Amino acid sequence: MLLLRMHYGVILLAEVATMAIEKSSFTITPLLSKMRCWLTGLFELKVKCIKNKNAPKNATDPDELFIHSKVTTDHLKWVPMGNQARKYGPQDIRPVHNDILIAKLRPGQELDLKMHTVKGIGKDHAKFSPVATASYRLLPEITITKPCEEELADKLAECFSEGVIRVEKNNGVKRAVVANSRRDTCSREIFRHDDLKNRVKLSRIRDHFIFSVESTGALSSDVLVCESIKVLLGKCRHFLSELDSHCVDT
Amino acid sequence: MNAPESFEPFLLLDGDKKITITKDTKVPNAAHFVVNKEDHTLGNLLRAQLLRDPQVIFSGYKVPHPLEHKFVLRVQTTPDYSPQEAFTNAITDLISEVSLLEERFKAAVRDKQEGIE
Repeated sequence: MLLLRMHYGVILLAEVATMAIEKSSFTITPLLSKMRCWLTGLFELKVKCIKNKNAPKNATDPDELFIHSKVTTDHLKWVPMGNQARKYGPQDIRPVHNDILIAKLRPGQELDLKMHTVKGIGKDHAKFSPVATASYRLLPEITITKPCEEELADKLAECFSEGVIRVEKNNGVKRAVVANSRRDTCSREIFRHDDLKNRVKLSRIRDHFIFSVESTGALSSDVLVCESIKVLLGKCRHFLSELDSHCVDT
Repeated sequence: MNAPESFEPFLLLDGDKKITITKDTKVPNAAHFVVNKEDHTLGNLLRAQLLRDPQVIFSGYKVPHPLEHKFVLRVQTTPDYSPQEAFTNAITDLISEVSLLEERFKAAVRDKQEGIE
């Protein structure tokens, strides 16, 4: 498994595919000139803001005064093209969340957009990447070389994060033992204490990797790991088929 | 203005080959594999996997230029073995190893989820 360490990180970040808006044509009556479409989902958006005639007289909240004053991803309507309607339902192709604010409107203003989404990979543009952060670290290893007893044991436990060192009581003698080195933050606090620094050895287990994968919300992080494995497998299979049909240039 | 196209790192253009193999003219049982549109991710992985094979004498890779999206893998093997065989075996082994990882990961996730519910 040692081989695979960082490659997953890279494939995760760069090559798992999702959908994002690529092009949008839009007409906006006096509103934003900035393009705001890349953060939403796909498809058609047609919203007009009007005054709410039934609003109470003393209302000041724009939500009560106007109708459609907030444009959210809920207003996006998916327009199936070709045979997409047969292949996918509206539940398959949709924005990740239905309450992302796109713009705020006032009476007389309207949005009329058409958005074209494409499937892409993060290498092309970060907007396609379903991964927020992916990183790995090695498992820290703590070895107590000389036993730490009584007040030294408590001091040792203080030097590490909670749960790393456990103080055990044996025959009335307190003694420090390593409980869970995974919880260590590698602060190296121990080396500031002259009485402790020669009693403990800090190292890493070179073939034990701890990955941390954070998703943007489109896919859950365990699915992301599976997807990145599939990408790597796909590449390997592609290579094999490529080699089969290959003659050597001499 | 003269920025490279964003698809350049991964889109194989028409007429480009994914892998080209050239035999080394100076050393027997050695070959260069030029792999297009791949980077250190696969180069390093393949190199390391090839080195696990006891019949592979040498395996190393380089990315000749950071703006050219390809890597060159050089493989030298023992006389009764060919670099192509070594390459194919390395990939097959890699596939089984990654499949194993996938299986174990899925099992671990299942265990975890059942533990929560």
